[in-house]
Amino acid sequence: MEQAYLTLADTVAGPSGPDNLFNYLLLGAFLFALGIFCMITRRNAIGVLMGVELILNAAGVNFVAFSRFGNRMGDSPGFDGQIFTLFIVVLAAAEAAVALALVLAVFQNRHSIDVTQADELKW
Amino acid sequence: MSAEGILFWVVFLFTASSAALVATTRNILHAAFALGLTFLGVSGIYLFLHADFVAAVQLIVYVGGIVVLIMFGIMFSSHSMESPGEEPRSKFSLMAGGLAALGIFAVLVLLIRALQVPLSDQNSAFDAIYQRTVAVAPGQKGLGHYLLGEYLLPFEVVSILILGALAGAISLIRKETTTE
Repeated sequence: MEQAYLTLADTVAGPSGPDNLFNYLLLGAFLFALGIFCMITRRNAIGVLMGVELILNAAGVNFVAFSRFGNRMGDSPGFDGQIFTLFIVVLAAAEAAVALALVLAVFQNRHSIDVTQADELKW
Repeated sequence: MSAEGILFWVVFLFTASSAALVATTRNILHAAFALGLTFLGVSGIYLFLHADFVAAVQLIVYVGGIVVLIMFGIMFSSHSMESPGEEPRSKFSLMAGGLAALGIFAVLVLLIRALQVPLSDQNSAFDAIYQRTVAVAPGQKGLGHYLLGEYLLPFEVVSILILGALAGAISLIRKETTTE
């Protein structure tokens, strides 16, 4: 059986709205770029964490979009992408807990969570 | 354009504008609220992608857990409650961040346009698993069969990881507050 491919006809030149893979990938790319901007620009450590969460969500949207459109088995979505997104959610929760514990520990010591001021290893 | 199409674009723009708010607003608490709205919008996108369970988990864990956790963190780490974390950002970092974000977005859009993803050829092992599962559990029930069948090992490992993360977080905070 010959191999089928997802191509431009399925993305940019395809149907409009929720049936087009391109829109979901575009949203994922936009969220990713905004997460990068957040991580670079924010001075508050919790603001940097928010950028990380945006990036993780962008990856999750990509996974679920490919699970919907990349499986050509009738009309049903595959499940592998959704499983990946579930694990992303779980890992993001664990990582947010640890990151916030770190931020609070730094705040208790330094009384500031400004990342531009936390530039020494030993104080 | 059908009603579903219009609703999709409404959710899309809601998510995109909330994320833009997260990145640009100066007040950190406003950013946390906007992050909650972004997660809400992403949950709606998951619903459009026929991922009902993932949408529900997104709402419960992200909006109801992580955003609340972030707000607790903001409350505990701000000096005064009137102006939680207003921060002036240097022009250099804004320009560098904008450049990086624009560059990454451009590269990603170019990659999406050049997409050539090989689809399943209905003969691989993944398809056999899928057909077997869907024959037994149609609809979203198949996700449960996947989670406790093929992906049982990552499921258990992630449970242990969460336990370790919670214990680690508590130990991080405890060390700093105990006085000898």
